[in-house]
Amino acid sequence: MLEIKNLHVTVGGKDILKGVNLTIKDGEVHAIMGPNGAGKSTLSYAICGKDGYDVTEGSVTYNGKDLLAMDPNERAGEGLFLGFQYPVEIPGVSNMNFLRTALNSQRRYRGEKDMAAVDFLKLVREKAKELNMDPEMLKRAVNVGFSGGEKKRNEMVQMSVLDPRMAVLDETDSGLDIDALRIVADGINRLRGSDKSILMITHYQRLLDYVIPDFVHVLAGGRIVKTGGKDLALQLEEKGYAGLGVAENAA
Amino acid sequence: MTVKLYIENPEIGPDFEATQEKLSLPDNPSPEASWLKHARATAMDKFLTVGIPGPKVEEWKYTNLGFLANENFALAHRAAQTSEITASFDEAYMAAITGPVIVFVNGYLDKTLSRFPKEGGMALTVFSDDPESFRQDLAARDDSTSLNNLNRALVTDGYSLKLSENTAMAQPVQIIHIVTAETDRQSARTRGQITLARGAKAKIIESFMGPDAVRYWSHTISKVTLEEDAELSLFQVQLQGKQAIHMTELHSSLGKKANFNHMSLQLGAGMSRTEIINNIDGEFAEVNLKGAYLGRVKQSHDIFTRVNHNVPNGESHQLFRGVSDEGGKSAFQGKVIVARDAQKTNAHQSNKNLLLSRKAEANAKPELLIYADDVKCSHGATVGELDLDQLFYLRSRGLDEKSAKELLVEAFISEVFDGLDDEILLHKFKEKTQGWLTDKVVA
Repeated sequence: MLEIKNLHVTVGGKDILKGVNLTIKDGEVHAIMGPNGAGKSTLSYAICGKDGYDVTEGSVTYNGKDLLAMDPNERAGEGLFLGFQYPVEIPGVSNMNFLRTALNSQRRYRGEKDMAAVDFLKLVREKAKELNMDPEMLKRAVNVGFSGGEKKRNEMVQMSVLDPRMAVLDETDSGLDIDALRIVADGINRLRGSDKSILMITHYQRLLDYVIPDFVHVLAGGRIVKTGGKDLALQLEEKGYAGLGVAENAA
Repeated sequence: MTVKLYIENPEIGPDFEATQEKLSLPDNPSPEASWLKHARATAMDKFLTVGIPGPKVEEWKYTNLGFLANENFALAHRAAQTSEITASFDEAYMAAITGPVIVFVNGYLDKTLSRFPKEGGMALTVFSDDPESFRQDLAARDDSTSLNNLNRALVTDGYSLKLSENTAMAQPVQIIHIVTAETDRQSARTRGQITLARGAKAKIIESFMGPDAVRYWSHTISKVTLEEDAELSLFQVQLQGKQAIHMTELHSSLGKKANFNHMSLQLGAGMSRTEIINNIDGEFAEVNLKGAYLGRVKQSHDIFTRVNHNVPNGESHQLFRGVSDEGGKSAFQGKVIVARDAQKTNAHQSNKNLLLSRKAEANAKPELLIYADDVKCSHGATVGELDLDQLFYLRSRGLDEKSAKELLVEAFISEVFDGLDDEILLHKFKEKTQGWLTDKVVA
């Protein structure tokens, strides 16, 4: 269970999050929507521990542990996964090497042994196949020369291999055509389970056609201003943020 | 003669006659021939006329040799077999490669560790057995550098590889330079000469090993002559001790369609200087120089290259990657000179540097001098830091900061070894660089 209480975050001295409260229980899928500049990405980076996102007040705990006291890699070891809005290109590091190093780092953090090379290879090939990734792409450098859709697919393959208990997906659907969107949705739905939690941050409602959330929150001006079921997303789509009394660029 | 004495060492200078005696005995088996004595004396005279390159010499802009004036490096002596030597040898030696092995310890051939398998078309000899094969090189009255002349005067051993027409060696030659722990304030000087006749092919792997505990000066000069269609690949792995002064100077000349590949990895030494001077003298010849240099506190690496495109249709590619951790210093000086007649030259150079600390230094000085008007030439040099977004991406996937940095540094230099089709060597390069990073990368 992820518990965010009264979270205040500043970026470059500017207050972005001004008291976010959110509780995500195991097995739940939450969606956070909001206008540009509402602080959606800031929330995901703060949860995952990016430098420069300074928490000035409040707490974030995961299964009772203080996430804010941990390094990003420790948070990953605890089962957290951040799906990037803009996955980073890393020339010179093959996808395969990257995934193996990541997986084994997490296993070591949890006091487990490294996965045997043969088992790892089998696992990655299986996950790549499930998500329709060309196995050749596993040999290529991480995200280098990948199209927008391929990068997002790669995020889903990574998520699938690392098998997190809590996934925070930061606008994973942005900039995707309908085929790529389906792949991403498929990746998320495959992760869904009674012991998994998912937080989807999205600007548009359309991802929610494929991944039905249990809760939808509206983030505006650095706070969650509205919470509802999946219907809230539809209302937003219909009436816009202003129609629900949420000012655009409220931050 | 006006003596510019930049080295306060009686062995070099007034007492050189006594030094010459030592060069013969007891470390060398027989008295030297008179031509050799004369060649040494001439070279020493030449060295003393010029002296050590001072801080105002452009070629030595980034490495100040002023310290040599106050440090006395005596000739190193032949060492008895010890477990120390065996350990260094085992680290450098690649057992899977079954070709010739030449081991120099403190600048002298180690007969026990070396092996000279016979191969048709190949003549592989050493200076201590056959000084005559070095006669032309040592007696040369060219205008080479003063340090080359110092080496000529004091050289103790070296190897000569000659391949006859169309001889392709079945296996690479391994040259292993080892320095022992008794060499504090001593110098080891060797020479190498590689001559490949038309169509001949060879691969040489040269390793430099030495202890951290002593300050020694390892100095190697090589000469590469490639006739038409000949092909040489030379790999250098520099793992000298932390206080060592490491200098290599290589001169290559390429005939028509000849191909010279040089790949180097600099990890050790307190001060390293790698000079690679190339002359493209035949059309359609190609020079490929690649290298990675990694340094940290109390280390400086200096890479100095020249490619002289003297004739048309030549090709040269240079790719160097440097990494400096806290306190580390590096320099890359690469000059490409395209002569007036050398039309259709294709010359490219890339040097990128990664600084892991604000207290690290990288210098890049690429130079293109083009006198022809129909050429394709490019150069690029960058100095940068680790990308914070890449670092966070890796950490968000579970890599701790140190491992993430290691992976990014490995990735940074990987371009140098990309395309290397020799698995044994590739493994060696990767193993050594990974070791460097795992040990010491900044947290």
